[in-house]
Amino acid sequence: MNQTLVSYLSQYEFFDVLLSLFGKNEGLLAFTIYLVFAGIIVGLCATIGGLGTYAERKISADIQQRIGPNRVGPYGILQFLADGVKMITKEDIMPFTADKFLFYLAPMLALIGVFSTLAVLPWSNGFIMADLNVGIFYLIAISSLVGVSVFLGGYASNSKWSMLGGLRGASQIISYEIPVTISILSITLLAGGMSFGTILGQQEGAPVHWFLFHNPFAFIAFFVYFVGALAETNRAPFDLPEAESELVSGYHTEYTGMRFGFFALAEYIEVFVVCGVGSALFLGGGNLPFSTTFDIIPLQLVQVVIFMTKTLLLYYVVIWVRWTFPRLRVDQLMSICWKYLTPIAIFNLVGNAVWVVVFHGKSIAELLSGGH
Amino acid sequence: MFVQLLFLLSASLTIGCAIAVAVTKNIMHSCIFLLGSLIGIAGLYATLGADFVAVTQIMVYVGGIVILMLFAVMLTGGKDFVSRAQNLLGLAPSMGNKWTYGVGLSVGLVFLLTNVKLILSISEYFPEKKFGNEFPSTVTQIGHLLVKDHVLAFELSSVLLLGALVGAAIIARPRKQ
Repeated sequence: MNQTLVSYLSQYEFFDVLLSLFGKNEGLLAFTIYLVFAGIIVGLCATIGGLGTYAERKISADIQQRIGPNRVGPYGILQFLADGVKMITKEDIMPFTADKFLFYLAPMLALIGVFSTLAVLPWSNGFIMADLNVGIFYLIAISSLVGVSVFLGGYASNSKWSMLGGLRGASQIISYEIPVTISILSITLLAGGMSFGTILGQQEGAPVHWFLFHNPFAFIAFFVYFVGALAETNRAPFDLPEAESELVSGYHTEYTGMRFGFFALAEYIEVFVVCGVGSALFLGGGNLPFSTTFDIIPLQLVQVVIFMTKTLLLYYVVIWVRWTFPRLRVDQLMSICWKYLTPIAIFNLVGNAVWVVVFHGKSIAELLSGGH
Repeated sequence: MFVQLLFLLSASLTIGCAIAVAVTKNIMHSCIFLLGSLIGIAGLYATLGADFVAVTQIMVYVGGIVILMLFAVMLTGGKDFVSRAQNLLGLAPSMGNKWTYGVGLSVGLVFLLTNVKLILSISEYFPEKKFGNEFPSTVTQIGHLLVKDHVLAFELSSVLLLGALVGAAIIARPRKQ
């Protein structure tokens, strides 16, 4: 059965109080809860996306021995708000020869694709909007809207830079989807299910139970996933679609103001989502480092903090990689995907399948401790 | 109530976008409306309780087919294909004369009547069939069916796809002079 946030909350006593407030109308109450939490999560993720731009500048400044933004607020932390105000008040310019309909549609599609993935992102094992049976599959599927939006943004601008950026972006996103999906598939194989609840339930307790340390193949799969995810979100060293030294700014060259802001925000939130999926699939997500049957709301909040810590650590690595590695060439990009990552991912999948059959799905830690 | 509402939304999205695909003159816009229509169909599957099929619909069509179509349209000229010709009513791009329209209309009528006949008989068999409010997991069932009952069809189709992949690689390979 599909677990949802409402079915999780309904086990507490205050749910009955809320229910009587809503005049025993369960549908209305469920709708209100979803609405409130969707608002919270979208707001939170928009803030994380905004802070992502700040973190990017600050960390790059650290790496390049500069100071970075330090004027707006303490340590310049309000810089992203200032940027947001600037973007909203800027003039919204559209190229005269642009395809109006597609030009307006592209940034929306990017945001829709990214925000839809948040519905299944597991903040803790209770706080998850909808723990679908097909959770991780849904996430992969719906995030392909971002690929369409990159392509459309490039096409609709009617500019050569945008066009090249959009073409590169679309081909890169569909290519790197393959190793990423196969790596995720090998984890589904180990967990025996595609819902985040099942996947997290298998990794409870100490870090040795994480899927990262389950077996050697899963260990490699994490790195394949991470490299592929960097490319899928157009991050350096795979940021060819928006390579500023050759394409001005790639598929969003012609976008101004908040429409550009939508693309940028979608990219930063997508990085966050990808890191969150990585931490949920391989690093145990929000699981506590000890197993307990005790379940109260504050403990769930601790889980949220653990999940955020792991995710933001991965986020830091993404930014770190961006400012330390040079950009690839287009042919290198494609050969890395098709000649290295995809074969390694398929090898991992077969290896995981063999491991599940030979060792009955036990992890290395379980085998060493002689558990049966 | 909520599921019915979602069903109506998905159905109107599907039909509305399908009509838009037919009447839009710009082929790129048609592609995008097709995307909306396919998402609507995924919504229909989801409201009927077939979550795996719904997600597969989005995965295959939105992530693969529509991007492929956009690529194909763009490589063959894109917006130069805006048609200036008009049909009988002056609504859509011209695609035929009154004979083709006549044949199409009669075929459509026959299809419509057959479908009505089929749907009527279905409602007789399931008189109180409601929309699926309970969503049991379909993933496990589909997996079991694929590797037990339909394993031959499954393997044959994967061999066919592998053949298509190898064929595409051979066609696209640079020829030696």
